[in-house]
Amino acid sequence: MRYLMQLIKNSFRMQFTYRTALFAGLLTNLFFGVLRAAVLIALYAGKSSVNGMSIEEAVTYVALSQGLIAFLSIFGYYDVMRSVYSGDIAGDLIRPAGLFFTWMGRDVGRSVVNLIMRGILLMVIFGFFFDLVLPTSGLQWLWVLISMILSWGISFCWRFLVNLFGFWTPDAVGIGRMMFAVSQLFCGFILPLRLLPVWFSRLAEFTPFPSMMNSTVEIFLGTMQGFQVLQAILIQMLWLAILYALCQLTLALGIRRLVIQGG
Amino acid sequence: MRRSLKLYFTLISVQIRSQMEYRVSFFMDLLSTMLLNGSYFLALALILERFGNIAGWTLGDMAFIAGLSEMGFSIMDMLFSGFDPDSFSQNVRLGKFDQMLLRPVNISLQVFSSKFLIRRLGRFLEGAIIFGVGMGLAGIHWTLAKVLYLPIVLISIVAGMGALFVMGGTLIFWTVQPVEVVNIVTYGGNELMSYPMNIYPRWIQNVFTYLIPLVFLNYLPALYFLDKPGVLHFAPVFSFAAPFAAALMLFLAFRFWSFGLRHYQSTGT
Repeated sequence: MRYLMQLIKNSFRMQFTYRTALFAGLLTNLFFGVLRAAVLIALYAGKSSVNGMSIEEAVTYVALSQGLIAFLSIFGYYDVMRSVYSGDIAGDLIRPAGLFFTWMGRDVGRSVVNLIMRGILLMVIFGFFFDLVLPTSGLQWLWVLISMILSWGISFCWRFLVNLFGFWTPDAVGIGRMMFAVSQLFCGFILPLRLLPVWFSRLAEFTPFPSMMNSTVEIFLGTMQGFQVLQAILIQMLWLAILYALCQLTLALGIRRLVIQGG
Repeated sequence: MRRSLKLYFTLISVQIRSQMEYRVSFFMDLLSTMLLNGSYFLALALILERFGNIAGWTLGDMAFIAGLSEMGFSIMDMLFSGFDPDSFSQNVRLGKFDQMLLRPVNISLQVFSSKFLIRRLGRFLEGAIIFGVGMGLAGIHWTLAKVLYLPIVLISIVAGMGALFVMGGTLIFWTVQPVEVVNIVTYGGNELMSYPMNIYPRWIQNVFTYLIPLVFLNYLPALYFLDKPGVLHFAPVFSFAAPFAAALMLFLAFRFWSFGLRHYQSTGT
């Protein structure tokens, strides 16, 4: 545990060193957020509510999803497969925490820094341009926090799992790009799932991806209420457990195949 | 000029052949690029199922404007890769640019041919498919003038967006590291051009009219092709301004480039 804390602390410090990159990332996320909000406002065309989502909620949805890009690495994550190809993974395999938790520790610091610098800050700046919707009670904030941690866990497991393709093929980057394209669409990042056709969101419910982002955002907005919140969080826990099990299983299979070139 | 062109094609064909060496990996890349960029338009098509149109633009209209801008951007991305701030910065840092300066060949030509990514073809194919859908659905009344103007618009988008890459690359002469905010103008500009300009807040419209005149490259010409009335305060004649705006942008970009070149000091690597 102490070892894991040290990993997290290191990754936290490392991330904070790249302040200009953080700032540039923030600006880019903001600009694209403004464009996406304009698209939704034009789509609503004065309608006050569509399928239980008001225009303020839709705009806040955009702000939240833009703010979560870096926290959840929505555009992709290839660190683990790179370490397989470079051979650096050999060093990680002898670490006491195991491969999964070693990489998780490294990712926690990165995510938390990005949540603050590119998530919360983005929301604040976005609030100057648009009317945003915020949780109305302490209890709702608590649910948001729980759901957000779960969605991060699901996101990490999914990213780790995709990276494990690196054990089987020397060109997993292409596969990864495709996988992350799918998860971007189905987690509700590109457009809110609630606004897409019913058949599509039904289809999405069979995948872990809505639990990766959409649920957290809807709990924040209050478009999910009462029993629905509880249900969404239970589903998140279930997916986290399934994906974690899949990660460990695949990892165990993958390590048996791994050959590290001496040199 | 002929000698330069020949040299350019030789250098490019070497790169294409080396990139085609790994066939399977090449096609995987092609496919994933198509899927990744295509998923954004797919999502838009899905949401239009519920909303019907965006500011009066139907799925066909949107496919036309988005496909055109995507095709233009991807061709540009192939041709101007050498100026792409990310890869040009690497060439400067590693001293490869200094090597180029020593060769008795025009320096801009060398930068042009220093990188050509054939896998970007995936994005072009994706844009072409979307554009094809647009042509089918939008019900365009084709006239001879429109048929002749279409390739001019495409070339204008390539040249105009290329100008932005050249300017972003020029900044490297001073900063060495790529200035990431440039991505807002290039990749953000491409995203911006995939939608009708009148949906954006006024300040964005102004920036992309007077400072970076992207509005002339895609939105205003699209009004002409789709026979749509303009909502912004532009006279219809501005639909034909695309080649002039692009030529001006490219001219200024290369002036800036030569200015930067004169002030270039090597990093010493």
